[in-house]
Amino acid sequence: MKNKPYLILIFTFLIIMMVDISVFAHKVNIFAYVEGGKIYTESYFSDGKKCINSKIEVFDDQGNKLLEGLTDEEGMFSFEVPSEGLIIGDLKLILTASMGHRAEYIIPANELGGCVAGLTQEKSEEPIPTVFPEISSFDLKEIQSLIENTLDEKLKPIMREIKKSQEDRISPTEIIGGIGYIMGIFGMIAYFLSRKK
Amino acid sequence: MHISEGVLSAPVLVTGAVLTATAVGYSLKKMEHKEVPKVAILSSVFFVASLIHVPLGPSSVHLILNGVIGLLLGWVAFPAIFVALALQGVLFQFGGITTLGVNTFNMAFPAIICFYLFNRGVRGENNFIALMMAFVCGFLAVLFSGIMVAAALVFTGEQFIQVAKLVIIAHLPVMILEGVFTAFCIGFLRKVRPEILNV
Repeated sequence: MKNKPYLILIFTFLIIMMVDISVFAHKVNIFAYVEGGKIYTESYFSDGKKCINSKIEVFDDQGNKLLEGLTDEEGMFSFEVPSEGLIIGDLKLILTASMGHRAEYIIPANELGGCVAGLTQEKSEEPIPTVFPEISSFDLKEIQSLIENTLDEKLKPIMREIKKSQEDRISPTEIIGGIGYIMGIFGMIAYFLSRKK
Repeated sequence: MHISEGVLSAPVLVTGAVLTATAVGYSLKKMEHKEVPKVAILSSVFFVASLIHVPLGPSSVHLILNGVIGLLLGWVAFPAIFVALALQGVLFQFGGITTLGVNTFNMAFPAIICFYLFNRGVRGENNFIALMMAFVCGFLAVLFSGIMVAAALVFTGEQFIQVAKLVIIAHLPVMILEGVFTAFCIGFLRKVRPEILNV
């Protein structure tokens, strides 16, 4: 019975190891996607809690602030894609949640589909009538928006999957690796201390 | 408690880095050869503790354990917490490299304050007093850390009282849990390995 305390210690350790370690609340995540000319964002802490009333700022690639807003009860915030003239490149969304948590999400320029495509569309309007004289530019725009709507609808579940896979998970390998690093670092410290003497 | 990269302003980051560097340097100099394994183990404990989530109500909390680490290590809590936080930053993006100094100071400084406040009581003769002291130590270490986080965030333009309230209310369950855990640890060590505490 002399070893009883050790058994208890090992037992507690085993229980702790079994606790689900896949979630943790140190990080906030922001996920954004473009859908039909609007940008939707979802913000959540990494344990799945939504960020409520957190500030989201939108910057262009020159670092100019375009707009800002607060997330709602569901951690969601959406806004119209800023007008074409303003968009030069990628959009950067910065989420500032309470207690010093912060996250970024970059929407690449080519994903901003609607607007940027709209710009190129207008530029290429001249040659189109010569190639397809029977299709007016109005039809083209309509077809484009139709395709976009259908795609958005079809891609929704995929978006959700992507969002899910973006949620970080800690693997036991990383944890054990981290402990290994710590032992190594202190091993080195011990080595240098022993050399000094 | 981990402040993310890009939140704090440069003067706060530099102050934190300088304070942490000084403290780590001082404690490494002070560290005795035979203390190293103990520091390594407690550093690992700190590293893992932040990853384990205890479900509590609608959200979940994790232990910080800076109280226990402070009690057991004293000044060498600084390198222990520094190494653990650096690895958490690199491996899991908790906090960050630029905020490492501030984060280390926020967690290790309260540990040392608690060491000086409760060292005597926890190592004293009376078992009951020792356990009570351990509870208060665990509780206060988290409270101090919360206040320091709030203080660091003040310079970003947030209102001190407001942030402090938020951080402290959010961590109230952690403080209690931490207190209980610290008392449990100290009680366990007093019984099984009193030489660690030099009782």
